[in-house]
Amino acid sequence: MLTLSNVSKSFPGVKALSGMQLDVRAGEIHALVGENGAGKSTLTKIIAGVYQPDEGQIEFDGEIAHWATPGAAKAAGIHVIYQEFVLFPHMTVAENIFIGHERRGAFGLVDHRQTRKDAVELLHRLGVDIDPDRRVVELSVADQQMVEIAKAMVHKVKLLILDEPTAVISGKEVELLFQRLQALRADGVGIIYISHRLEEIFEICDRVTVLKDGQFVASHPTAEVDRDRLVSLMVGRDMQELFPPKADPATIGAVVLEARGVVAAGRVRGASISLRAGEVTALAGMVGSGRTELALAIFGGLEMTEGEVVIGGQTFRKMTPAKAIAQGIGLLTEDRKGQGLAMLLDVASNITAADLDAVSRWGLVDRRQEDAIARAEITAYQIACRGPQNPVVTMSGGNQQKVLVSRWARTCRKVLILDEPTRGVDVGAKAEIYRIMREMAAKGIAVLMISSELPEVIGMADRVVVMREGMIGGELSGDQISEERIMQVATQKIAA
Amino acid sequence: MSHAVEPNLSGMASGAEATRAWLQRYALHLSLLVMIVLSAAISPSFLSGGNVSNMLLQAAPLGMVVIGQVFVILVRGLDLSVASVMATAAVVATSFSGQDGDAPVIFALALAIGLGTGLVNGLLVAKRNVSPFLATLATMIVLQGMRSAWTQGAPSGNVPPVFRILGSGAIYGVPYNLIITAVLAVIFSVLLAKSTFGRKVYITGGNPVTARLLGIPADGVTILCYVISGVLAALAGLILSGFVGIVDNWVGRGFEIDSIVAAVMGGVALSGGRGTIAGGLVGAAILIVVFNAVLQLGLPIQMQIIIKGVVIVIAAAFYMRRKAG
Repeated sequence: MLTLSNVSKSFPGVKALSGMQLDVRAGEIHALVGENGAGKSTLTKIIAGVYQPDEGQIEFDGEIAHWATPGAAKAAGIHVIYQEFVLFPHMTVAENIFIGHERRGAFGLVDHRQTRKDAVELLHRLGVDIDPDRRVVELSVADQQMVEIAKAMVHKVKLLILDEPTAVISGKEVELLFQRLQALRADGVGIIYISHRLEEIFEICDRVTVLKDGQFVASHPTAEVDRDRLVSLMVGRDMQELFPPKADPATIGAVVLEARGVVAAGRVRGASISLRAGEVTALAGMVGSGRTELALAIFGGLEMTEGEVVIGGQTFRKMTPAKAIAQGIGLLTEDRKGQGLAMLLDVASNITAADLDAVSRWGLVDRRQEDAIARAEITAYQIACRGPQNPVVTMSGGNQQKVLVSRWARTCRKVLILDEPTRGVDVGAKAEIYRIMREMAAKGIAVLMISSELPEVIGMADRVVVMREGMIGGELSGDQISEERIMQVATQKIAA
Repeated sequence: MSHAVEPNLSGMASGAEATRAWLQRYALHLSLLVMIVLSAAISPSFLSGGNVSNMLLQAAPLGMVVIGQVFVILVRGLDLSVASVMATAAVVATSFSGQDGDAPVIFALALAIGLGTGLVNGLLVAKRNVSPFLATLATMIVLQGMRSAWTQGAPSGNVPPVFRILGSGAIYGVPYNLIITAVLAVIFSVLLAKSTFGRKVYITGGNPVTARLLGIPADGVTILCYVISGVLAALAGLILSGFVGIVDNWVGRGFEIDSIVAAVMGGVALSGGRGTIAGGLVGAAILIVVFNAVLQLGLPIQMQIIIKGVVIVIAAAFYMRRKAG
């Protein structure tokens, strides 16, 4: 139904895709996998008409297609559900479903009754129970996703593309989503399913195409490959090589930071955790289990309504980022652009941002000293950029992440917390970040890594603390650390 | 490393691209130059000594207000109260005996008004999350009311001579008020570009969430920006009262819009975190030249307003394209 042959796309200075091929049939769920930066989103955008390919050919429904705009692709029957939903939060479910295709009545005015009626019918066909009159902002994320799918069904959708649909939903909701997708497949809709979660791909997809560095690697029926094979295709090397050796238990020191009974943001409900010098502790658990919030509360980025943080012989009931930094804590946030980088500033300013006082005298920033520091860090972490004055906004995700790692590695003296440190970075940068984490631990710093990628947790952690519904569900160390055990602890209560 | 997705940074400095980058960077300065040349070509009196010093005299108070406005816009705000602060400061200047002896009191009072207004604006925006538009609109109106109540509707009295000298006098042909503005521009440019406070302004404006997680007192930084704007506006009001000589309730009228337009034309992003004082001042110079050219050409004064609107549209379109590119 959809065939791409030899498709290439370049952006200034970047070859995002070259010689790409893809073949999706009607009535199949086709997985698209690859490391971050492999070209999945560029490929998606080409199919969706957002970008036009520089070379190559797209065939859709037996015809050569040239979609000049997203609208043209949509009219042809292609619908993309991006990670960030395109919904209007303060409009109703029914209004959202027919946005841009409002049901018209007399004088061309919007016919609200008809809109509502059609919406009810569509939702019914999808088999979901959502009130069409509710405002979207009141819905759960899973229900919002269903509204997005319903939008796709307003047109006769032939090809549905889902970008990481399960990143924002969990457990039962995933099952429900899969049922809907299977129903759509039975109706003959072609589905491109982009996901990092390989288990899902084996569960629901018929075939899988692997991308690496903007190029086509392989395409197989899922029945013919296994997990390890898929990983090595994606990474281009064995996963185990990425991780440096773990800490010798003898080198793990005393408790540096202890958080007791932390309650915050309604997401953390009495969690306690202690971090030891020289140890890499992983904080695992489902998305939404309160991991990020716990980290933020320890750092002072979120208000603790109960509980305390003990560090450096002091007990803090009210933590602030300034105090945390002064105590030698660093926090690399999950959202690089939204919470970490000053995107408009350059590399040097970003590296020194957490300890401006160290590079200033009489309230003036010593730009020469700052540049010298930045230059040293650029070399040490192999940050690809034109120099200290390179604005971070023009850099790749991996290099931006290294800038942040370098910032906190410089300032943290006791505790380094990293929230999803390798999200959205390429394999090379990943290995580099793992190495730096180990180095920091070897220097006697307590490292806490939050991660949703189990292979990473297993490869890096000396100890795994599993969160569940805002509390600590359990702790694993040494040989106990395995995917099965972690998942077991993470989901125990939810399953019960 | 995956070289396919690594930006090829060394390849960016090709000749054509470098030229384009240069043109983009100096587009503003070039357009100022073009406008001056055009105006001079059309109207011979444009470059006459009298006219030039007239323009510079006008540019000084606007420049002063623009400096403050740049700080506020950098932290994602805007300050509509500046014109009202200016008028209030000017009214204060005439509320005494009109002798030089009152100058220190007038000075202190005017600055206190500017500082207080800035403080209220900043507190409303930073601590109460009021939108800058509403907060500064409100203080603008409150000040207007207080001013009218104070003057009973019709201000009278004289500006002390020292302000007249500062506002319209010159040394070797260089107006005093321009010297004051230039000194302030240098001081505040250093503050913005070189100090830790300036760095914090850029970080806070670029992303308040990031700023907070870096332990930067984002609220304090924001408040201070509004205070700077208020104080500079008060100063500009005193200078302008000296320039105009007589004071009514509306000295500085239109300066809020002109200063915002100048800053935006000068490349200060309304979304915060990007822009410089120098840029804002070039923007102000362009506005002054445009206004003056309209007068020199003998066009009706209403044309100023129309042309101002057109200039905003052109500037906005230019920066939107640059953002997209």
